[in-house]
Amino acid sequence: MSARKRTLLKVIILGDSGVGKTSLMNQYVNKKFTAQYKATIGADFLTKEVQVEDRLVTMQIWDTAGQERFQSLGVAFYRGADCCVLVYDVNVMKSFDNLENWRAEFLIQASPQDPENFPFVVLGNKVDVDGGNSRVVSEKKAKQWCTAHGNIPYFETSAKEDYNVDAAFQCIAKNALKNETEEEIYLPDTIDVTQNRPTKSSACEC
Amino acid sequence: MGGGGGGGGENEMYGSMEQGNEVDYSAPLRHQEMSHSVASTSAVQQRTGSAGGPESEPSGVIDDYEVVYVKDNVSVHPTQNALGRISGRLRLIKQGSSLFMTWIPYSHGGISRQGSNVVIKGGLRNRMGSRAAERDRNLYTIRAVSLSEMRSIRRQTPPFGWQYIIIVLTSGLAFPPLYFHNGGVKEFLGTIRNHALLVRSAEDANVYLVNDIQDPLQRSLTSLELTEQPAPSAPTSSQEAPWPVVLKQETPVAAESDGKQEQSLRQIFKQEQRSESGRRRDQARDLSMNVLEKFSLVTKFARETTAQIFGESRMFLDGLDMDRGPVPRPPPGPSTPPDVEVLGIAKEARPLLENKHMKEESSSALNSADEEVVDDNLNADDDAEEQAATNVGTFELVDGTQDDTPALVWGRARPPPLGTEEWRSFLDSEGRVMDPKALRKRIFHGGIEPEVRHVVWKFLLGYFRFDSTYAEREYLIAKKKEEYEILKAQWQTVSPEQAKRFAKYRERKHRVEKDVVRTDRTLPYYAGEGDDNANITVLRDILVTYSFYNFDLGYCQGMSDLLSPILYVVDSESEAFWCFAALMEHLAPNFHRDQNGMHSQLLALSKLVQLLDRPLHDYFKQVDCLNYFFCFRWILIQFKREFDFENVLKLWEVLWTNYLSEHFHLYMCVALLKRHRRRIMDEQMEFDTLLKFINELSGHINLESTLRDAEALCLHAGERGAACIPPGTPPSIPEEEAGGWSD
Ligand SMILES: Nc1nc2c(ncn2[C@@H]2O[C@H](COP(=O)(O)OP(=O)(O)OP(=O)(O)O)[C@@H](O)[C@H]2O)c(=O)[nH]1
Ligand SMILES: [Mg+2]
Repeated sequence: MSARKRTLLKVIILGDSGVGKTSLMNQYVNKKFTAQYKATIGADFLTKEVQVEDRLVTMQIWDTAGQERFQSLGVAFYRGADCCVLVYDVNVMKSFDNLENWRAEFLIQASPQDPENFPFVVLGNKVDVDGGNSRVVSEKKAKQWCTAHGNIPYFETSAKEDYNVDAAFQCIAKNALKNETEEEIYLPDTIDVTQNRPTKSSACEC
Repeated sequence: MGGGGGGGGENEMYGSMEQGNEVDYSAPLRHQEMSHSVASTSAVQQRTGSAGGPESEPSGVIDDYEVVYVKDNVSVHPTQNALGRISGRLRLIKQGSSLFMTWIPYSHGGISRQGSNVVIKGGLRNRMGSRAAERDRNLYTIRAVSLSEMRSIRRQTPPFGWQYIIIVLTSGLAFPPLYFHNGGVKEFLGTIRNHALLVRSAEDANVYLVNDIQDPLQRSLTSLELTEQPAPSAPTSSQEAPWPVVLKQETPVAAESDGKQEQSLRQIFKQEQRSESGRRRDQARDLSMNVLEKFSLVTKFARETTAQIFGESRMFLDGLDMDRGPVPRPPPGPSTPPDVEVLGIAKEARPLLENKHMKEESSSALNSADEEVVDDNLNADDDAEEQAATNVGTFELVDGTQDDTPALVWGRARPPPLGTEEWRSFLDSEGRVMDPKALRKRIFHGGIEPEVRHVVWKFLLGYFRFDSTYAEREYLIAKKKEEYEILKAQWQTVSPEQAKRFAKYRERKHRVEKDVVRTDRTLPYYAGEGDDNANITVLRDILVTYSFYNFDLGYCQGMSDLLSPILYVVDSESEAFWCFAALMEHLAPNFHRDQNGMHSQLLALSKLVQLLDRPLHDYFKQVDCLNYFFCFRWILIQFKREFDFENVLKLWEVLWTNYLSEHFHLYMCVALLKRHRRRIMDEQMEFDTLLKFINELSGHINLESTLRDAEALCLHAGERGAACIPPGTPPSIPEEEAGGWSD
């Protein structure tokens, strides 16, 4: 346990209920997936140390409930975010349509200093389902949306199969760092950075 | 946050009435006219003792005693029930150079003065039963306490209700709060100041130190240490050292209304170990029942107050204040574990606080040891038990009937759950619950055995009326089943073609479906993958049906958590539906789009913490956490995610009794926060770390002791607590809709 000066990056994961926010976070931080996660009530977060280029940063990943009527809580949780991850389920059209709302809601509630350039990352999750046969949102369509909203980086993921999850979060960390705030924080060293795989920065389209 | 903003009411000391022209009590002793005193100092005849109550006793000079202050309608509030208040007369009596204080309750009801006539209001307390009332009066009477025995006086001006004072003796004991229904705290302090040195505490402006010549801290600590002498023999590990009760023979007051031998009871704060001198004095005490009835009382305020004076930093002292005194003690040794006789909380909290991972095993083991001790001492006397029930949590009750086995009661060990036999005894021959209030009380304290739970829950939830007969209920079940089937058919008959054009329906069904498969799957009843379990399908059907039954509210996350235990217990689709619907009558505002129900509960919680743990409130304010969002999950689904399934059932039936408060869950929140307050503040938790900490308490909370703490807090807060909770705060619903909830 040490008290060193670290960079704390606050990342918020948003998206419709059931798209896999909790699963993605747990897959990334704890390297596990279970079909038995409960619906998130309120909010929670996990932290993970990541190396971005030559810097060691701590990512604090916030997972909130997906049902929109809980969003009045958002203000408290979104404050001070460095990056916002928008997740949808490639098999559920509505969850894609709602990205627009989630993005707008975030910008209103977090009111970042520079909303135009605030870093977002979009994840299309559950690409594993039914071998891709039940998917209703094409990669092309998703990318178009991202381009139209200021070239938001886009990843297709599967929390279940651990597909592209690391790469996505590596990009998230990198983007968050652009928005960093230096803070003195004291956290137990729970995660060994050496566990982190080499960065797949090529996958990051930013 | 609606209304007053997070936390609300931050004004420090509200009482403009007294602070407007603040008297400088910290000034050195001044000789003044007794202009502060409201007492008539004209000499009146000495009472002969037998006739009338003290209310007919005129104030004045008796021999060389002089009544220098008298105030009527000064009350003790043993419970939150207004009927249980005991009103009496507070006096300061001067004898030579000494000053004594007495508080004698009236014999009957309240009293009010009309001109110079004294009017006794009878009947007010009739409902309490005269015997219990009499005992209460005896219990709380303050015969005569010398000013030289007082260490400090705390003056408290709550935002709602009356000003009160708490007198802390040099022994560490405190009297219960004395509420001044007619004002007069300032005059009281002013009178004392005329006869003794009264110094305002540097640490807490509400505390006045009495006769404090030197450095207050130094002196008080010294005086405390004097009373703490090593025990000649260590008490057995499971026993509380006896509470020394000492009779003071010299008495400054004339015989009281009861006509009995005047006895002044000096109560000494219970020591860790009994001192030799204490033992000797014990033997001198009068063993008559009259005296023994005067259980020593120590209020949690004693420790609160002393803790604040000394800036006490021990762990629980300032938690629920179930510690026993402000005296710093050596660390517990194996032979004389000093905390054994203290309440469960201390014993659990210590390992909890020390162990980062908060192992439940250790705490529950300790807890059961605790309960044995309490049990031993409890069943001796029904009266004492009843007494304890009234005083539970607010006061520790020490029974001096047996020299070496005094009972320290802090919230009792919970009695066994309501079983089949006993349940039947609550019903008349046709199946009506004869005394719903008694039933609710019973369940509040002990819960329900699993084999009758499925029946009793239907009453608690309001699906069955308490006054319904067996026959009526049978009819109701059949009728409601039909009704349910009709509701269910509304969505089940939606054809695929219709569904295509019915986005709301599809959306809701989808929402429910993705949540039910994530609900309590570790429980055998719901086990499996996806929707391969019939009970998961039932959950879905009930929830979709409910979203049609209450279309405006629809389905919202958290509802599946609320339904799952109900279905498990009731185990009938239509009945579970109606029980759930009844529960939602109370909890729907939790799920309203504007979150008003949640916000009002979080606000109420913030006010309760402000009332019950000011330093913690101040801490949350300082770290900008007064929105209490970290308690969101606790409140939204009634702690469903915080306990294992079995304990959720136990908790919910307690909450649903509505017995002490409709908002008992908020007192649960306060109890939990108080339990961990030390850690929260020591580790300087902020919004994120606090949320994490609270979330991680899940699965590590001892239900029984938290219930007891919450009960204690609820009783202690009384009406001041109720006043923190705005009308309409869930789970309250307007009276006329209350249905089976009303008696
Ligand atoms: N096949 C598949 N299932 C997934 C994947 N990610 C999540 N799930 C499942 O989708 C369901 C919802 O996942 P969660 O992670 O709980 O969803 P969430 O976004 O956190 O939902 P809320 O907490 O309600 O907002 C769960 O049953 C998961 O097992 C994935 O990549 N592939
Ligand atoms: Mg989630």
